[in-house]
Amino acid sequence: MPSASSLAPAARAAVRPGMTEARRARLAAHLFTLAFLAAWWGYSLTVPQFVLPGPVPVAIRLWQFFTTYNLYKHAFASLEHILEAMAISLIVGGVLALAAHYLPVLRLAVHGRLSPFLNSFSGIGWTLLSIVWFGVNEFTVVFAISVVLTPFAIINMREGLETLDRELLEMAASFTRNRWREFGKIVVPALMPFVFATLRISFGVSWKVALAAELFGGRTGLGYLFNLAQQNFDIRLILVVIIVIIAFVYGTDRIVFAPLQARFGRSDASMVP
Amino acid sequence: MMRQRIAERALADGLVVAAVVGWWVLSRRLPDFLMPSPWHVATTLAGLFLTPSLLADTAASAARVVASVALSVLLGGALAVIPYRWPLADAIVRDRITPFLNSFPSVGWAILAMIWFGPTDAAVVFVEVAILTPFCLINILEGLKELDQELIEMGASFTRHASRTFWKLVMPMLLPYVMAAVRIAYGVAWKIALVAELFGVSSGLGYLMLKAEIVSDAATVYATCFAIVLLFLAGEKLVLDPLSRLIAYK
Repeated sequence: MPSASSLAPAARAAVRPGMTEARRARLAAHLFTLAFLAAWWGYSLTVPQFVLPGPVPVAIRLWQFFTTYNLYKHAFASLEHILEAMAISLIVGGVLALAAHYLPVLRLAVHGRLSPFLNSFSGIGWTLLSIVWFGVNEFTVVFAISVVLTPFAIINMREGLETLDRELLEMAASFTRNRWREFGKIVVPALMPFVFATLRISFGVSWKVALAAELFGGRTGLGYLFNLAQQNFDIRLILVVIIVIIAFVYGTDRIVFAPLQARFGRSDASMVP
Repeated sequence: MMRQRIAERALADGLVVAAVVGWWVLSRRLPDFLMPSPWHVATTLAGLFLTPSLLADTAASAARVVASVALSVLLGGALAVIPYRWPLADAIVRDRITPFLNSFPSVGWAILAMIWFGPTDAAVVFVEVAILTPFCLINILEGLKELDQELIEMGASFTRHASRTFWKLVMPMLLPYVMAAVRIAYGVAWKIALVAELFGVSSGLGYLMLKAEIVSDAATVYATCFAIVLLFLAGEKLVLDPLSRLIAYK
């Protein structure tokens, strides 16, 4: 017999009552978090403040972040950039995917040329190019994020359009001759899970892109704050911005997107990377 | 059907030609620092692969990408195996490490690495590994979840060597997922290679790009963007595609 630890988790869960197993795993996770904080604190004592400040000074700076308008306004600026870019890329990507779906002659142009091109171009490249074209301003930031998000929208919406139920469409065609009615009653509802999947993926990606775009091409936003902090060697502020982003991205995914998708979506729609 | 195909093809290629022509027309009206001509960009692009000093930068970026992909697949795989071997650690890997790495902003890693390690090759590789690891981790976790437990049980009844069942059964079943991890990591790696090289190192395509941006040398900015696309495609067609065919044959 192999040792117990090489048994599959599923087999072990069957042997023991599942509830305590899950609770113990959760306890282990909390202990891990504490151990991480302790290790951070311990290590921060051995290195200078400007290399790695401890959890307490960072927590104090975090408090200042939330109580100082000049700091937290940047979080709202970033959020604004991101929401604008998400809306733009969803519309542009959706229109392109729909065009390719209903006019098959466009298919190769959209999915074989445009989408791979956008997809393989790096976000920072778009940022630097749009700085060259439009200068350092809000538009540059929103443009760069939108271009990076568009291929995600195209790919996801294409996925959705390809899984449309043909039989359902045929049935609809036999009930109405109005194509718009068919579109509104059948196609749009069937696409909703994919719209949510797109939004969810876009949201995660856009924060990362937004930071880089704002760092080089913006005058507002958390990326800009990053830039300031880096110039002032304010590593506490850098860590605060990182913590705020992690908390916000993870929190929004859990609190907003996961329930929304559970309600409107298919679970596998979110598997598209 | 055939005519439809030809029309589709003509439209797609026509679009590419039209884009290049449109670019060329635009470049004649706009100054060079805004919109360099396609020809100018093409020669700069060729220079990135032919001029020895620039080729050194291109090669530096490529070497960092390859090293980071290899390291992040190993690290992601190691992390993914933890909950498989020790189910108690499941929540640690799934609910702590994965979301933490996954939502950590890449620019944040880049700035921190420069502060911690200074502008070195190791710092760039660290940034890239930190960004790529969650992608590998998620894929390999998924692969381990899908393993055929009955097959492993059968293996366990044939041999007492856990390492033998691992190499003969688990690894072959896992390989497609590892391959997917390599593929995704490779695609992301080229995109973030530039970010990792923007903060202080003095070699690589990211460095070239930032330097060009500062002196308004738009042709080089364009050329580095295209070089990334070319290198990405070359690696995928010449290395990854044959590799995944090899795995599929097994």
